[in-house]
Amino acid sequence: MKRTTIPFGPQHPVLPEPLVLDLILEDEKVIDAIPTIGYIHRGLEALVESVEYTEFGYVVERICGICSFMHGMGYAVAMEEIMAVEVPERARWLRLIWAEMSRIHSHLLWLGLGADAFGFENLFMHCWRTREEVLDIFEKTTGGRIIFSVNRIGGVRRDISDTELAAIVTKLQQLGASFTETARIFETDPSIRHRLSGVGILSREDAHAVDAVGPMARASGIRMDTRLTGTHLYDRLDFEPVLETAGDCLARVVVRVREISQSIDLIRQAVDRMPKAEGAPIEVKVRGLPTGEVFERLEQPRGEVVYYIKANGTKYLERFRARTPTFANIPAMIKLVKGCDLADVPNIIMTIDPCISCTER
Amino acid sequence: MANPFNLPMMGRSLRNLLSRPATRRYPSEVRPHFAGTRGTLEFDLDTCVFCGLCARRCPTVALTCSREDRFFAIEQLRCIACGVCIDLCNKDSLRMSEDAPHVHLHTGAAPGDPRPGHQEWHQQPPDGSPPVPGDAAGGTATAAV
Ligand code: SF4
Ligand code: SF4
Repeated sequence: MKRTTIPFGPQHPVLPEPLVLDLILEDEKVIDAIPTIGYIHRGLEALVESVEYTEFGYVVERICGICSFMHGMGYAVAMEEIMAVEVPERARWLRLIWAEMSRIHSHLLWLGLGADAFGFENLFMHCWRTREEVLDIFEKTTGGRIIFSVNRIGGVRRDISDTELAAIVTKLQQLGASFTETARIFETDPSIRHRLSGVGILSREDAHAVDAVGPMARASGIRMDTRLTGTHLYDRLDFEPVLETAGDCLARVVVRVREISQSIDLIRQAVDRMPKAEGAPIEVKVRGLPTGEVFERLEQPRGEVVYYIKANGTKYLERFRARTPTFANIPAMIKLVKGCDLADVPNIIMTIDPCISCTER
Repeated sequence: MANPFNLPMMGRSLRNLLSRPATRRYPSEVRPHFAGTRGTLEFDLDTCVFCGLCARRCPTVALTCSREDRFFAIEQLRCIACGVCIDLCNKDSLRMSEDAPHVHLHTGAAPGDPRPGHQEWHQQPPDGSPPVPGDAAGGTATAAV
């Protein structure tokens, strides 16, 4: 049969960021997809050679507008490891709380975009309205809505008072309660099920083979989450990752929907279990120049991110590298797109939650 | 096949139809900023001692400070509102206002000036040289915002 090549992207209504897939079709079936990235490469990793290590955190935050807290945290944690800095406990708890809040706002953002992609604009608005309340909490506590500038090597720059922490938990629990209705729509609405159920199935074996990470892997039944390693104080919380076994687009949506409630619960646990030590130190002064290299892993909303930093004893780091979750999930996406209908391609691409800014840096 | 009469969104949609909008009628109704929001950097000429600490440590090189010329300048378009300079200043000469930064539409203070968002302050030296007329603070501020 004659083959047609259809360019998908870089401008496409469903894509928030530029990604190109050359789709090779036979009739309506996609038989191959050739990805191209590089449209928004900004050379942030190379900037490490000309920006001092103390200031590079502000660059790392700008890798991505959604995971900006996690990127800032990852860089700070990695540098602290290289420089053998003991971070005050309160700062570590605050980082955990902000990190889980980032997960909530990222998943809400994605659910909105996902709803828009499968033609449910009303639901899109609901998700973003809910997300706005999380951003308000961020603005109250860090001073910024998207770029927080609150991580610093050696701790965090702003404290949250204990009463405010309690208020945040109450607020998030109310938000979670009002979100259950939206969550139910995602899980039960017949048009959503019709559009997503059984589409783009990634089996457990395939997910292993292509090294899927994050909600993508968890929707295929793989119990994989960097938070399980217990680093960054997650060992003090009761945590069990949300798993689904179907591996289709709907399962990926459901995993993210449930992770929102889970993150709210993790924040509640964190506030319960952190020492009530308002006014305790939240940062330590860091002196000297870093030497050595380090790998650091974090669970971002989209999956596991890996940072590699090499320092050579000068003000400038020798190498900074971030392997972002979307980069790890692109092979899975290509695998899913092959063999599907052209009309399902947007949904499959959306359900990996692509963040191209992160991927290209 | 799912039941087509199961419409979990319907109740919510009908309620929305009858309830107030969730959005504000911006710009007539503006949400106030929270205390501590990082908005625009502001400078106080009277307290600054021109030590230059802030300018040295600003990650985006948005500040210029000269002790000899008693001169201070902010490039608002370079500033990323990180607040590092505010934490460093011992004299509380810098603060962050909660208002969102201006949109710098002008291309400069004067036609041909290529520095949108540039603000500068000059302090008259306390050596008896004549103060600038009409300026009680003994300094001048030029702003191109
Ligand atoms: S640190 Fe404060 S006193 Fe020193 S130059 Fe900057 S604003 Fe002036
Ligand atoms: S707020 Fe940050 S970027 Fe802006 S002038 Fe101060 S140090 Fe520089």
